[in-house]
Amino acid sequence: MRIVNPTFGLSAAAGETVALKPINWATDAIALMSNSKPNARELLEGVRAKLSAFRNVDNIVYHSKNSASQAAPKDQIEKVAANFRGALLALGD
Amino acid sequence: MTDIAEQEVIDIADMDVEAFNEFATEQGWSDGMPLFVPTEAKVAKFVDTVRGDNRPYSPVPPRQIVPTIQAMAANAVMAGCKPEYFPVVTAALRSVLEPDFNLHGTLATTHSCAPMVMISGPIRKELNVNCGSNCFGQGWQANATIGRALGLMLLNIAGAKPGEMDRSTQGNPAKFTFCFGENEEENPWTPYHVQRGFKPTDNVVTVMSGEGPHNLNDHGSTTGDGLLTTFAGGMATPGANTVYGKGPSFIIIGPEHAATLKRDGFTIETIREELWQRSRIHISRVSKGNLDTYASTGHKPDGDYLRIGRTPQDLHITVAGGPGKHSAFIPSFGGTMVACTRIQ
Repeated sequence: MRIVNPTFGLSAAAGETVALKPINWATDAIALMSNSKPNARELLEGVRAKLSAFRNVDNIVYHSKNSASQAAPKDQIEKVAANFRGALLALGD
Repeated sequence: MTDIAEQEVIDIADMDVEAFNEFATEQGWSDGMPLFVPTEAKVAKFVDTVRGDNRPYSPVPPRQIVPTIQAMAANAVMAGCKPEYFPVVTAALRSVLEPDFNLHGTLATTHSCAPMVMISGPIRKELNVNCGSNCFGQGWQANATIGRALGLMLLNIAGAKPGEMDRSTQGNPAKFTFCFGENEEENPWTPYHVQRGFKPTDNVVTVMSGEGPHNLNDHGSTTGDGLLTTFAGGMATPGANTVYGKGPSFIIIGPEHAATLKRDGFTIETIREELWQRSRIHISRVSKGNLDTYASTGHKPDGDYLRIGRTPQDLHITVAGGPGKHSAFIPSFGGTMVACTRIQ
């Protein structure tokens, strides 16, 4: 028998192709991004402390969303993308 | 197993309903309750009810695929809908796809929220949607299956599989179905969809990502003022997301409570304002750890109190249910909105 697949859908239009540039984790500016849930900041503080063992951390900067339940605003993502070569995300809960 | 997700129509061996349910469960299509078989012929009848509605659908998060009408109809068939329910189901999907509804967040959260579906307008009678006694409960095919169809679409099209993309800690029985009609006939004020700018003759679906209904029992109060004291006390719950998420809530007033409030001169606006003022939560009822967490994300108390929303307009009010001295409070996920769509 022939049935209709309840999971079927069409792929959304392909997004822009992004040219990834290599990152130097020992020197480049890094954004530490929290999802604004409890413990995400603590997790990032641990990451920053580990990084401090082998690099300068003056250009490693904390960021957080303004809502734990919603996506980061587009302008915030663009700002992070414009100012940092890498970003590490922490999902606390 | 062949990846059948890439095929809209699938040839499977002839099988009875029991065998189909085994098959569907293996595929991950089931909410755990028995499903009807979405044959091509049945699906075609559903698709016929929405011909002429050619507005595109946006990609459905978190899977980010654009649904086809046939796949949507397959879920409505499986849920046990009648074909004439399908325009309501598609309107419900359009509503949850409003960007500020935050479908991704409401599906992926650890919170227990489920999509509440409220139906307004003459179609309630045409489809025999229960707006009266036991309107949140069992016994009506339209209520049971329209809500279920939306849930199945979120499972199968959106990809909100429990324990995978649906990360709800405990879930909520409303995830099976949560659909009811406004009791416009016993609403002494303005029906909700008209409050939102629609015509009384429009048929409208309203959705909110909410918890299940919290009962507001008041047999003793004989004044509107007394009822509002009870309502506000029931709404002031420190454990709700709305304490810090600052989103909408619904207060569904039972007809007898509504008549008392109307008799005492209350309007939707004054009820909203009174509940806003009275449902504050004193900080002595909130742990220090939670107060610190809320403050760290910008949600500081207003003096010695926390509010359960941003403004009085976060409190949405209408009438549903039958005889009895009960009303209901439905807090939302928080980071969401109440979305309305006119049924085509």
